[in-house]
Amino acid sequence: MHISTKKWLFQKYSSAILVPLMIWFIINLVSIFQSEYSSLIIFFTTQPSSLLFSTFLIIAFFFLSLTVSEIFEDYIHNEKIKNVANKLLFIFAIIMPLITILTIFNLEI
Amino acid sequence: MKEEKQYENNPLTPHLQIYRWHISSLLSITHRIITVVNLFAITLICFWIISLYFGPTSYEAIHLFLKSYFGKFFIISLCWSFSFHVLNEIRHLAWDLGYGFDLKVSKITGLITIFGSFVLTVLIYLIGKNLF
Repeated sequence: MHISTKKWLFQKYSSAILVPLMIWFIINLVSIFQSEYSSLIIFFTTQPSSLLFSTFLIIAFFFLSLTVSEIFEDYIHNEKIKNVANKLLFIFAIIMPLITILTIFNLEI
Repeated sequence: MKEEKQYENNPLTPHLQIYRWHISSLLSITHRIITVVNLFAITLICFWIISLYFGPTSYEAIHLFLKSYFGKFFIISLCWSFSFHVLNEIRHLAWDLGYGFDLKVSKITGLITIFGSFVLTVLIYLIGKNLF
């Protein structure tokens, strides 16, 4: 299978998973964004919200990095700059959710 | 040399300066902008969660911002950008399954995406705030 086909399929599968997770997350974000510190800690440390949010983060960063890399493909002419931009994007898409998930699992009530 | 220069001056996709605007092109470029916006938004949400780790004092400034009108505006804007993304993504998935390619249907689904994103924003806000 060609690498571009693989990339496209990954994008589509992650998109299908992301749609319900995005709706779940935004509804919950609206209900918690003005909450007190302790309520937020309870939300992010209890199940199923902790697991669902972690999954949302992984899928969202995976999907968005693939989509943004496609934008780089269309708008950046210089191959070297494009490669560096893509590598930085993928590193960011791994590190950011990883740090956040580690933080969630280390939060204490 | 001349050819090389001509290549350098070629317009980049999706040739925004050349084509006349249609619903499909408007949605396509908006979808791309929203993708970048959502990446930034989710990154900000990550920082918001990371700030929780440092205790209630460091979280206070963010809490005050989120309680202000700007904070509400930020969250409602986020609701819209996520709603738009979700609806347009469903439209794209339908295309990938072979549905909705007809020009008329494509225009109708485009309009549904634009207006639906505002309706979905209101619905999500009302559900989230338990106002239903």
